[in-house]
Order: sequence, then C-alpha cells, then structure tokens
Amino acid sequence: MDIDVKNLHPLEVRLLRHVASGEDITTDRIVKELDYKVGQCNQAFSWLSAKGYLVEKRRSNRVLYELTELGREQQEKGTPAQRIFALLQNEGPLGLPQVAQRLGLEKSDVGSAFGQLSKAGVCAMTGDNQAQVLKEELPADVLGAAALLKRGLSGQLDEASLSNEDKQIMAKIAKKRGAAGSPFKVVEREEIVYTLTEAGGQARQAVFAANITGEELGAVTVQMLATGAWKNASFRPYALNAPTSRLIPGRRNPYGSYLQWVKDKLCSLGFEEFDGPLVETEFWNGDALFMPQFHSARDIHDVYYVKNASHCKKIEEPWLSQVARTHEDGWTTGSRGWGYAFDHEFTRRQVLRSQGTVLSAHQLTKAKVPGKYFGVVRCFRYDQVDATHGADFYQTEGIVLGEDVNLKTLLGLLKMFAEEIAGAEEVKYVPGYFPFTEPSIEVHIKHPVLGWFELGGSGIFRPEVTKALGIDVPVLAWGLGIDRMALMHLGLNDLRELFTPNIESVRMRRGN
Amino acid sequence: MPKIEVQEDLFYDLLGKKYTDSRLEDIFPVAKAELDGHDVDEKIIKIELNDTNRPDLWSAAGVARQINAYTEGGAPLYDFFSTADETFDSEGRSLIVDESAKDVRPYSIGFAAKGKVVDEPILLALIQSQEKLCWNFGRKRKSIAMGIYRSDLIKYPVHYKGADPDTTHFVPLGMDEDLTLRQICEQHPKGKEYGYIVADKPLFPYLYDDNGDTLSFPPVINSARIGAVEVGDENLFIELSGTELHDLLLCASIMACDMADMGFDILPVKVVFPYDTEFGREITVPYYFQKPASCPLAQVRKTLGEPITGEQAVESLKRMGVYSVYDQTDDAIYATVPEYRNDFLHPVDLVEDVMIGYGLSNFAPQMPGDFTVGRLSAAEEFGRKIKEIMVGLGFQEMMYNYLGSRKEYIDNMHVGGDDYIQIANPMSENYEFVRPSIIPSLLESESMSGHAPYPHDIFEVGKVAFLCPEDNSGTTTRNYLGFFCADNVMGYNEASSYVNTLMYFINREYFLADLDGDTRFIPGRCAAIMVGERKVGYFGEIHPAVLESWGCSMPSIACELDLDLLLE
Repeated sequence: MDIDVKNLHPLEVRLLRHVASGEDITTDRIVKELDYKVGQCNQAFSWLSAKGYLVEKRRSNRVLYELTELGREQQEKGTPAQRIFALLQNEGPLGLPQVAQRLGLEKSDVGSAFGQLSKAGVCAMTGDNQAQVLKEELPADVLGAAALLKRGLSGQLDEASLSNEDKQIMAKIAKKRGAAGSPFKVVEREEIVYTLTEAGGQARQAVFAANITGEELGAVTVQMLATGAWKNASFRPYALNAPTSRLIPGRRNPYGSYLQWVKDKLCSLGFEEFDGPLVETEFWNGDALFMPQFHSARDIHDVYYVKNASHCKKIEEPWLSQVARTHEDGWTTGSRGWGYAFDHEFTRRQVLRSQGTVLSAHQLTKAKVPGKYFGVVRCFRYDQVDATHGADFYQTEGIVLGEDVNLKTLLGLLKMFAEEIAGAEEVKYVPGYFPFTEPSIEVHIKHPVLGWFELGGSGIFRPEVTKALGIDVPVLAWGLGIDRMALMHLGLNDLRELFTPNIESVRMRRGN
Repeated sequence: MPKIEVQEDLFYDLLGKKYTDSRLEDIFPVAKAELDGHDVDEKIIKIELNDTNRPDLWSAAGVARQINAYTEGGAPLYDFFSTADETFDSEGRSLIVDESAKDVRPYSIGFAAKGKVVDEPILLALIQSQEKLCWNFGRKRKSIAMGIYRSDLIKYPVHYKGADPDTTHFVPLGMDEDLTLRQICEQHPKGKEYGYIVADKPLFPYLYDDNGDTLSFPPVINSARIGAVEVGDENLFIELSGTELHDLLLCASIMACDMADMGFDILPVKVVFPYDTEFGREITVPYYFQKPASCPLAQVRKTLGEPITGEQAVESLKRMGVYSVYDQTDDAIYATVPEYRNDFLHPVDLVEDVMIGYGLSNFAPQMPGDFTVGRLSAAEEFGRKIKEIMVGLGFQEMMYNYLGSRKEYIDNMHVGGDDYIQIANPMSENYEFVRPSIIPSLLESESMSGHAPYPHDIFEVGKVAFLCPEDNSGTTTRNYLGFFCADNVMGYNEASSYVNTLMYFINREYFLADLDGDTRFIPGRCAAIMVGERKVGYFGEIHPAVLESWGCSMPSIACELDLDLLLE
C-alpha cells in the first residue's frame, strides 16, 4: 500500500506513533494518554478511519455519573445528613422544624436525612420531639456518599470504577431523568473501541520510517518568526491537494469583456467610437435612412413609441428640409424620391432607437473624410422576448467614408472583420437588402465552431441618405451580428442570459 | 421579410427543370432569396425573400423568372401591356369607378385571365400572392387589397362605388347569411380583422357587376358566389383596390406576369375613373407606367470599383431580366424597367443589378486604403477606469436590460416615477418603462440571488434615461455607475468608504450633503455626493420597506453616480 505520510495530520501522526497493533483504542484512552481534547480525538478517529487505518472493533455502553448543581452544592456545604449531624453535635437537641430553619433546608429533605441517620442508630428523637445525637461517628453510607461527591468533582465517574458498596450508594443519589433534585445525573454513553488495521500498522511503520513525530511546525506565526523558534524545528509538509476554499473575486462581466474586446479590435482597425441617446426621433430612426414613412418596419408593431415625451421640439436644419425633399422628389440626390408628402409631424415623434444605423446617420452630419466610425449600441425592438430575441440588445455598426471606397473595398472590409473578429475560415458574400444601402451585401462566414452563418449586413449608403445629410463621398455602412459569437464564447445558448440578473450565474461564467 | 411556400412541381415547371436543394441554395442569392426548407413529403419548398422593395419576387413565378433570366440571359417579354401610347382592346370588359368612391378608397383596377384550368397548386399560388402583396406590400390591405373572381359569372361592366354600409348587403364568402357591410365588419372574421380600415368612413367600398351581383366588399371580403374561385375554374377576374394607384398597377402587373408564366392568357380591362388620376381617367390594365432608368457608366465603375465596359453592364442587366442599351456618346446605360418592377429610384439601383448580374464572386475584395485613427469615446475610456476600480474593490460587474415594469421601477422602489420614460405601446407590462436608474436592476439581482454566497458586491456601468424638459427631446440619456452591497453587516459607513475610495482614485474632490425625501433610503442614512455646486450622485442604506417589496433579507446599500457629470 502506498502511504503518503504528508497527508497525515499531526493528530493522526501522534496517535499512530502511540498505539500498537492489536491494542484497544478509545476516546478515553487517547484523551488521557495523549492529552487530546475529545473533539481532536474524534477528528483523528474519523480521518484515520476514512483512510482505512482504523477499524471499529466493538461498541459498548458505558454508564457515567455526573455531578449536578445540587451535587456541587452538597459537596461544598456537606450533605443534609452531614449538616444535621454537625448541627446537633454542636448545639444539642433541636426540633426538626428548627433544624430545617437553621440549615435553610426543605423540611422534607431534613426529614429524609434524619430518617437515614436514625435508621443507622446515629441519631434519635427524644420524648419531647427533639432530635439528638447518639453516636460520635456518621454512618458508612453517608460518608460513602460524601466521598463520591468529592470524586465527582474531577469529572464523570465511570460505573466500572466504582466498588460494589459505592454502586449501592450511587443508586440512591443518582437519577437518569429529573436529576435536578439529586446530586448525580446518570449519563449513558456508547463507546466505540477501535483497533489498527493492517494498513494502519503499515502507516505506523511509515511514520516511524519518515521520522515524523507530529510535533513539526504548522502555520508560520508572527511569534515563531519573532522568537526564532523555527530554527530548531522542522516544518510539517502540507497535503498539496487539500480541498481549497471558495473565493469570490471582484470581476468583469464576461459579456462586457467580450464587447470591450470587439471595441478594441475595431479601434485597432482605425475606427472611432460613437454613441448616442436611447430616445430617438422618427426622423433619425427612419426618415434620415430614407425609409419611407409608410414603410412596414416603421409600424406600431415594430417600434416602441415614447408615451410621455412623444415628440421632440424641433429637428435640426438643414437636415430636416433636405431629408423631406429627398423623400418627396429626390431633391438633388439624383433620385426620384418616394413620391409622397413628407409628414413633418410624424417625423418629430419619438421612439426607442430600433437600429444602430441611426447613430451612423447622426455621425454623417459631423464626420470627417476620410473617416471610419463604429458604435456598439443598445437597440430596442418590438418583439416577444425569447431565447433569440431580447427586449433590448447590442448592435455593432459602423461606417467608412472616403473618396475611393467602393464595392471592392466593402468586400475587403467585411473580409477583415470576418477574419479578425470572427476568426472565419471561409467568407462568402451574397446580395442583400436594406432600405438605406444600395448595393447591399450580406457576409456569411464559416466559423470553426458554429459553421456557416450570417455575420452581418452591409452596403453602400444610398445617395438619398448621404447627400441629404451633407456628405458627397461614398459611405460604406456595416453591421455585425456579434451576439451569436458572444454566446458561443460564453458557452450559452439563450440571448436572455447575456443580461441575466442572477449573481451566481454571472460570477461563475467564464469565456472559452 | 416575406416568406413563401411554393408547390414543388409548379416551381420546377416554372423553372423549366428540376433543381437539387443545393443548386437552389447556390442560385437563390440572385433573387435575394434563401432556401428556408424543403418538405419532401408535402412537396413544398419554403423560400425567404430579403428584398422588401421587390414584391415581384414573392411568388414561385417571380423567383423562377429571376433565376431563369440569370441562367438563360434574359426574361420573357409580355405582350399584353397597354401604355400611354398604345391601348389594347378590352373587348367590352370594363370597370367603372363611381364618384362616391373618391373619399372612401379612390382606386379600383382589374384585368381578366383565361385559358388555364385552375388546379390546386395554381389556386394556392394565387392565394399566396394575394396575401403577400396585400399584407407585406399593401400595408396589411390598407393601401392594397386584391380579389380574384369567377369571370364567367360576371356581367360587365363591373362597378365600384362607395356604398351605404347599412343598406348594402350580400352573402360573404365563408358564411351562409346575407349581411350588411356593417354587419360583416362586426360579425365576419375578416370583417373583424380588416373592417377598421374603412370603419370611420360614411360609405364603404363596394364592387358589383352590371346585374347588381356582388363581387366584394373591398378590402374585407368577397361574395360567396362570384368571389368563390375553386379548382376547375378557367376564367378569372382580378381586381385590386386601394389608395396608391401606381402600387395597384404594379401589383396588377406582377399578378398578370405571374399568371402568364403559369399559362393563362391575360385579357385587358378598361378602367374608367370619374376623376383625374396620374395616368388619366381611362386606364387599360395591365398598364405599363414605368419610366426608363439610366446610369452613367462612370458611376457603375466608381461604385463597384471595377472597370466594367458598357457591353458587360448591358449583359449583366440582361441576366437580371432588365433590357438596356449602352450609349457611347453619353457613356451611359439606358434601361427599360420590367413591367413587374418599380424599384429603380436612383441610378445606384441599376448599379446593384449590374453587380448581381456580373456575379458578386467576380469582385476581388480590396482593403480600404485611407489611414484613419482609431479611438474610443471619452465615456468609454472613463467607464473602463471606473470598472477597473470597482473590480479592484471586489465588485462583480453585472449587465442588465434597459426596459422594465412599473412594479420594478416604481412600486418596489417606493417612488412616484414622474420623470420616467414610459412606452406608449408596450408589448408586455414587463417592459413598459426605460430604466431611470441602475438601482432597481441591482435590487432585482439581490432579490433572486439569496442562494449565492454573501457578501454580494455588484455594480454596472450603463445607461439610464429619464424625462428632461430642457432637452430638445424632452429626455436625457446618461452614463451611470450603480453599485450595491448586501451582507449580514452592511451600512452607511461601508457605502461611504467605497464612495471615498472611488472618488480618490478618479481624483475628484467631493463633499456630502443631506439627501432629503428620497424614500428609497433610510432617512438620515443617505447622502448626496456633491462636486462643487453640483450633485453628481447619491448613496445610502436601502430602506427596509424597499427591501421588503423586493423580498430581500439582507441589509443593503446602494450608490449611483452620473459619470457624464464627473467627466465634464
């Protein structure tokens, strides 16, 4: 058997060194001989048993006698019989009520103690009901009881340690239940007798062979360092694989860390971050993106309307006029427009931002050329909340402005995203459709884990969008669906989990 | 995005050959379509169409036409379209619109078809086209409604008028009873669904033939007799009513081309209006109304980044079913827009068709050449600094949804919520308010995390929004830090120590002032955090009444700081 003495606690080591094979090992013995506390003893038994070094040999019931409060008092002041005897000896005959009063005892106690004395012929009652002493010596049972009380002071008395006479006396002054009125309480206890197993014997050998005493130093203490006590001792080796305790560290949210990684990645590719308010107008949320005001995606069933700040005060010029004209007849954008009367009231109506592209539109009014911009922004969509739809969610969007950007540079940009951000093995482009881009491209990638999926949508902003917002160069617009990769990264399969309020769930979550 | 189901046999017939699923997947992108599924037992192919501005693609015939154009290099030519210059003889078939329709639902148009016996797949295809066009393109029948009728039973001319909803009556499809138009709105399932579109008008749209027999009550329901097309019918009348004439004409063209592709002969119907329309008072339908589209070749080249020739552009467009010529003098492409399309708003729309026709795989990706500087926003940089400090203090970062319920944000917090942003059309009461504070989110965490080992030290750096009358929008969105602690022993002093440490490391001098009347906290154990004259945040011991409402059992503190104010 392979025995690693390093896995033995000092309590185990000392016990193993102390007991020989075949000997009975009991709590009493170890407490007495090794000066263990009962708790330490039980720990040592439990660990050694678990290792297979100790085995239970037998169990026996022990009867112990324990002093009660009354017992301690009697030990201190004397038993009622002793005290009555002493009183009568000193003061001569007295009536029993007087005795009770003088000694502060219950009459019944005085009665029974006096009965005990008269029965032994040590005391007697005179003709006029006065108690008197007849002999100089107390009876043996009274003296025996006093002796037991004294012995009881040092701890529980084992029935096995009592003589037959003592047992008879004890039977009269000890009670199992309702012992408050008696000097002793009877305690019954099951005792387990252990013995070393064969493996235990080997472990004992190993301990001796390794020259471990159980007296080696444990934790390094301030005192130990101050006194230099460690210089003349050796350190106990610890069990290297002992169970560790649960620590709760301060920690970032893994989804947040992922989004941060994406932002850093985009920065490293030359993009500048934008952001904006959660409440948007129909103007920016749709009109500026050349979505006609009657577009089906702008229905009450697709966008959340704000109830108590229902309209903004005004839309900034010249954007309002330019966008309105573009919708109506194309303005100077080269478009024929949508051919309807632009609703100036509707355009001021406020909604919760439903797409990240809104912020790209805002950015056009203040963008530099050339310029690259991005945002990881919260959006709201009128959807049933389920595993694939959240009430609100992050969209990652951006634009690239430049005199020379075109379809081929758009494809290059998408390829870069696919490789740098998604770790794509293969990239495929297909024609897509968005109301605000023409041409529009979807990028599908082959991910090492997820397989083929749509990474994002993109395109070149329609001139109706850019020109109306004061931009005369082509603008690439793109959006990436990164939540799918975030879920995979976090080992999740439900979008709702990304925003879970469950503390333990977030604490235990880790990225792949 | 529209999803359609097409009968396998009909679809393969229209394609002219059988395609494997993987071949369909490869070719579908030219129609911006995706194979959504193939039920082999039911012989149904499911297709998702991505282009919401190409209703001509939302049918088996439309997808097949686009694919055939691409593979065969051209689309069929249709010879039944009247134009402003040439009007086909409608042979006595006419639809007469009454003046009374003008303020109700001003336009109704129609055409007829014959020569093909309607079988089950064709009937299903027609019904699906009707549904997709009216629902997705016609704004759920508001601007376009379509009816298909048994032409044999009709005595021309057909009449369209605004009728008295309480005296006009007929037996609607799907019922046995004769009901007035108003009763139909109240009792018929379709009436309940679509009746609202005309409910507030004094007159309701009504279509009937010269015998006075009802065709339909558009946009709600057909009649049970003329309007009940079945398998075996051979002669059909298609009518569309609505509010936008060019959309109606486009949908009529799409239906006519689809039906022609399925083997019908299309028969013109003369529509007569008593008022002026953008195409005159008499329109013979199907009617070609589109104007030519053009695009300078230079724009094609610039947008696509490829030196495409005029001939290549013309050839590419042909593969998209668009016939065009290249004019060398102008160095431009001039295209004839197909009858079933009306999505060429700008020259870039032609460019995209050139791109698809040329083949997307023929464009080599190229990296953008301009140098630009990448940069995080100031708020993001500051937020990261805050997060780093909070994590160092032992806090777990949380991320929450921004929408919540009245119970979470108002009732449980024991506040009035007067300046909270409320959603006018919540889908559920669980998401009725935009969060005005991070604290309810943090308390929700605590309320559901009693099992998680304590202490609970959590925070979020995120956005909140609330009403702000001074702002143009009447609202403001702020970047906030919120943090929260719960443990056996937790109180004001701990909170104040955290605030002090945080403010030290972001290097802001602050002092604490009384925070009166904030019912979320225990009075006298909460404070406003002041920087100069400005309140930048607050913290305190959460009031036991608030903890009780949330079902929380541990002493708790919370703090909130306006990071935008601290950053200024």
